[in-house]
Formats: sequence, C-alpha cells, structure tokens
Amino acid sequence: MAPSLTASRVVVVSGKGGVGKTTIAAAFALAAARAGKHVLLAELEDRQAFAPLFDVTEVGPTPRTLAPNITGVSIEPDEALVEYLRVAYGIPKISRALIRSRAIEFATHTAPGLKDILLIGTVKQAEGEQRSGAPLYDLIVVDAPPTGRLPRFLDAPRAVAELVQGGPIRRQAEGVRSWVLDPAKLQVVLVTHAEEMPVRETAEAIEAIQKMGIELGPVVVNGIWPDIRGLGRDARATLASNAADSGIELSDTALAALAEVASVQARRSHHQRKALKQLDRDVALPQACVPYLFTARMDREELTTLSHKLEGSGLL
Amino acid sequence: MTEAAIDRLLDESHIIVCTGAGGVGKTTASAALALRAADRGRRAIVCTIDPARRLAQSLGLSELGNEPNRVERAGSKRGELDAMMLDMKRTFDEMVLEMASPARAEQIMSNPFYKHVSSTLAGTQEYMAMQKLFELHEEGRWELIVIDTPPTRSALDFLDAPKRLTDFLEGRFLKLMLWPYMKAGKGGMKVLNFGTQIALKTVTRITGSDLFADVGAFFQAFEGMYEDFKNRAKRVRELLAARRTSFIVVTSPTGSSLREAQYFTERLRAENMPIGGIVVNRTHLVPEVAGLEDPGALAERAQGPLAGALEAYAAWRAVSVREKHLLDAATGLERLPVWRVPDLADEVCDLKTLRAVGDLIADDKAG
Repeated sequence: MAPSLTASRVVVVSGKGGVGKTTIAAAFALAAARAGKHVLLAELEDRQAFAPLFDVTEVGPTPRTLAPNITGVSIEPDEALVEYLRVAYGIPKISRALIRSRAIEFATHTAPGLKDILLIGTVKQAEGEQRSGAPLYDLIVVDAPPTGRLPRFLDAPRAVAELVQGGPIRRQAEGVRSWVLDPAKLQVVLVTHAEEMPVRETAEAIEAIQKMGIELGPVVVNGIWPDIRGLGRDARATLASNAADSGIELSDTALAALAEVASVQARRSHHQRKALKQLDRDVALPQACVPYLFTARMDREELTTLSHKLEGSGLL
Repeated sequence: MTEAAIDRLLDESHIIVCTGAGGVGKTTASAALALRAADRGRRAIVCTIDPARRLAQSLGLSELGNEPNRVERAGSKRGELDAMMLDMKRTFDEMVLEMASPARAEQIMSNPFYKHVSSTLAGTQEYMAMQKLFELHEEGRWELIVIDTPPTRSALDFLDAPKRLTDFLEGRFLKLMLWPYMKAGKGGMKVLNFGTQIALKTVTRITGSDLFADVGAFFQAFEGMYEDFKNRAKRVRELLAARRTSFIVVTSPTGSSLREAQYFTERLRAENMPIGGIVVNRTHLVPEVAGLEDPGALAERAQGPLAGALEAYAAWRAVSVREKHLLDAATGLERLPVWRVPDLADEVCDLKTLRAVGDLIADDKAG
C-alpha cells in the first residue's frame, strides 16, 4: 500500500517544538478539505494555535467551522472527563457535582496518564460519531504534543490499563488502546526540519512509537531552502562575473549584499542536504519535503500556499 | 565605544533566567550567554532542562548529569564555566532527603505514587528547575547562574510552580477527599458533605481504590513538611524578584513566537519580575540596497548563480521587512532592550559557534 496521509481516519501530527507541526497539520486539513473531505482539526488543551491561522478569535471545546469542510475544536481534559462521565455513566448531575468539588482537577492531576487518555478518548469518540449512518468526519487531524512528550502521550492507554486493576476505567483504557493500535484508525505523522537535532529527535520518537506498535505515516520535512549552486569559493567574484555576462550593472554594495545572502543560503542548503541524508540513514519511512516559505507570519493565504505544496508532495 | 548592554547585564547579574516557548533557541541563548560571561571573567554556570542533550553536545560534554561539569574553554584563561542538565527526579529525591528524616524519606520514595509525582506530574519540572536554581545559589560557588526554563506551553508555569506544587502537596481538598484512606478508615466518610461523598465514590469507581490508597499514604508521608515547602517556595520567589536577577525572554520574529513573548513579558511585569531584555533569534536582517529595488526583474535576465542570489535577496528582504513590522507592532516589548540574532547558516553546535552567537547579541545596535 502506498503510504498516504489519508490512509487512516485519524492523523496525529507531532514534531519537535518550532518545526511547524501546527502549521503542517492545518495545511494538511486544508488540502484534504479541498479534496472534498470533511475534516475535524483538533488541538489539545486550549493552545489556540489554529485561531490566528484561520482568522478566528477562538477555537473552543464546542466544534466550530474554520473553513469550508473544516471543523475546529479544542479538546480540554476537564470537558473530556465530563463528557466521558456523561457517556459512560449517563450521570450529568454527578459530573456537575464533580466540577464543583474540583474532583476533576484532582483526578486529572493525580492518576498517571488519565489526562492523556481522556484527550485520546475524546478523539476516538469524535472518530466514531455518525450522522445518518455515515461518519460525521471523513478525517480527523490532531495537533498533538511535541515529540518530547509524544511517546508518553500515546502510551497513556497502556499505562492506565496497567495501573487500574479493573472497572470501567480499565475497560475504557483497553478500548482506547486497541483503537490507537489499529492502523486503519490512527497513524502518526512527524514533522521535522532538515537540521541535525530535529532529525535526531525524530528518529528517537519513531523508534519509541514503533516499539508501541503504533502506525507511522510519512515524515514531513518542513522548511527546505532553495539551493544556490555554483557560487564557488569567492561568491562575490562569481556573482560579479555573472552580472557582467548578463549585462546587469551592480554596485559594490549590491554585490556584497547579494553575496552575503547567497552564501548563507547556499551553506544552509548544504547543511540541509546533509541532514536529509542522515534522515535517510536513520529513518525508513517515506518523506515529503515542503519548502521554506519566507514568511514571518502564517495566515490563511500562506497556509493555502503551503497546503498546495503539501499536495504536490504526492502523499495525500 | 560604550559597553554593550548585554555585557553589562552579564557582568552585573547574579541570576539570568532564559524563558520562552519551545523551539526558539532558548537553550542556545542560555549557553551562549553563560559562555560569554565566563569569557569576560566571571565564574558562571548554565543549567539546562532540555532532554535532547543539545547543550551537552554544544559544550563538548558527553554527559550532563544533575551535577555541574567544568567546561574546558580552549583559548580562554579568564573566568570559569560549569554546565549541567537538570534531572527532575534526582532533584526531587535530593529535596525529600534534605527535608525529611531518613525513615520518612524512605517511606516517601518507595511509594508508587511518588514515582509519578516526581517524574510526570504537571508542574514538577518547573518546580525542580527553581529548586535547582535555589540550590546553586545557596551553594555560593558561582557569581552568575544562567538557567534555562522548561519549554512549557502554558508560559511561565515555573512562576506558579512552587505555589502549585505546595498547594498540591498541602492539598486541603485532596486530604478531604482522601481522608478515609489516611485516617480512621471508612467511618470518616460520615463527616464529609454529601457532594464530596458522591464525588469520592465516583472517582474511586473510575480510578480503582488501590491507587487511592497509594495516594493517601503519599500525602500522609508528606504531613508536617508543608511548612518547609512553603518557606522554600517563598525564598525562591524572593530570589527571582531580586535586584541582581534578570529574565531574558527568547523568541523568534514570527507572529506566533512574538505573541508568546508578549504574553511572557506581560506576565513577568504583572509578577514584578525584572526583565533584562528580549533575544530575537533567527532574524533576517537584510538592508535595502540602491540598485536592488526590483531583484525579481533582474533575476529574469541574470545568468548563473546570480539569478538564485537575486531571488534569495528578494525573499530575504521581504521577510526582513515583515519581521521588522511584526517586531515594531509587538506592543509591550518596545521599552525593553531587544537583541536580534541573525538566522545563521551553520548550526550552533560547538564553543566557537556559541561564542559567535554571544558576539552577535552584543553587536546588535538595537540592544
């Protein structure tokens, strides 16, 4: 089977901090929505990272439309626990009493992994939601915790099942666990930069996730710089002779500025190629490269550009 | 030439706390500043939290433990530099050993729930970072302590962390909930109000009561130590607000990072914490050059790598203008020194490149 970002019902997007995992998750949702899928774009714990990308003020626990075919939601543990109690026990009154007594704060702070399993459980629930016999969402994209915290996050169902001997929580944990392990339901997509440290962290996360038996999708390499080849040892001299050949007149200042920028970019590109080779060596997953966008602020327009680039990578 | 503002800060501060969201180069900035301070003759230590061991590598150490390690700085005879990586669990263990009697400490550390609290409970990492800072300060060996903070999304959790953890450990609410497990058995339930009884029963049904028993024993073991925790938290806070402490907010010039930086500075101001300035990493600083007003048009005629160079200039120039706008528009940062570090071609992975980062911070005229 060709690796595809749409091979599972849920795509959990993660990556080292700063590599653009949120942006890639949003761009991916946009590309899938364009292809006619109804996408749920979920962030966890009120990060409010999607709101500025879609020009809305807030994404809350109640799903809202962010763009045609895209519904956004922020999954919060407190809400998730209330919802869980409502579904599992049908006891909204007690849920309210729980909130009042701050029992939720207690439960989510003390029981190891309880918070994470509630978050994952809510995603599972959304995945199972139906309207007139068909799934409510064709695809769910989750902006997950960064790679440093990801293995523990994904391992929560197992950890909770191990800790709790019996009762509904254990049944729930086991249900979530087998769901997480089903490649038709869920895959993890890691975003990285073509830099030494993010590549290393990606390889480490992949190893940990593979050990858990969770399906991994392609790795998205974000921020690839355009290469400039042939600058030679003396970039300025090369550019000056190019200019003379092209009949372009450039001042010394202009040549110096061009040489500076071009050299930095060429060096950066060289380092990126090295990091990509390292990624090839360490990681046996397919890769999708996305160019660096030279933008200081991601907005709807830039996001659309990025989603087309992602589409062009052939992994949708 | 007057001394760079950053150098004055490095020469005069006793504590520098580098804070900011994850992925903006906080660890690099911390190490670069500590190295520069040492090169300027100070006895400095940098304590980082990053689990990726980036700092370990950039400082040429094979392993950063919970203990300070001397960094060999070739070519520098002045000052001293130590580096360490925070080990959250060991710091917690050491604190328990220090505060409790040996028997009590043993009781706490063998509790299964303690393992969870000391390694995974939200806020523990922040608390331990502050605890370690306090220990380093008390040890008195260093003139300057540079501390990196955890890349918490919930910004500045470390300011609340001591209070949150003490609240948690003291946990009046928890004790009420766990009373039956801590005191005279199930009879205690009678004195609880009805709502709490229901809540307790429900939570017990959900989590299973073995866990509750562990938790109850855990809090019982901590009984009587809360005053010590509170005092410690108070002293940490005083240390953070002290005259010779400076917070440096590390960011990058993108919309989302700057929003985060603004939030950080607001919070720090609200808490009366001294802000030393803002380090803006990965800035694109490309001047406007006469004759390059329309690089795109020139690129179409250009031969060889010149075409790529012109396109690169156009892209860099555009992004540099946008970054400047974003930086100028970031209210709340305008009265602070802002040090811009250019987007570097090479990864910062050794002392040489770390020194270069320090130089770039000191050179930025905006500072």
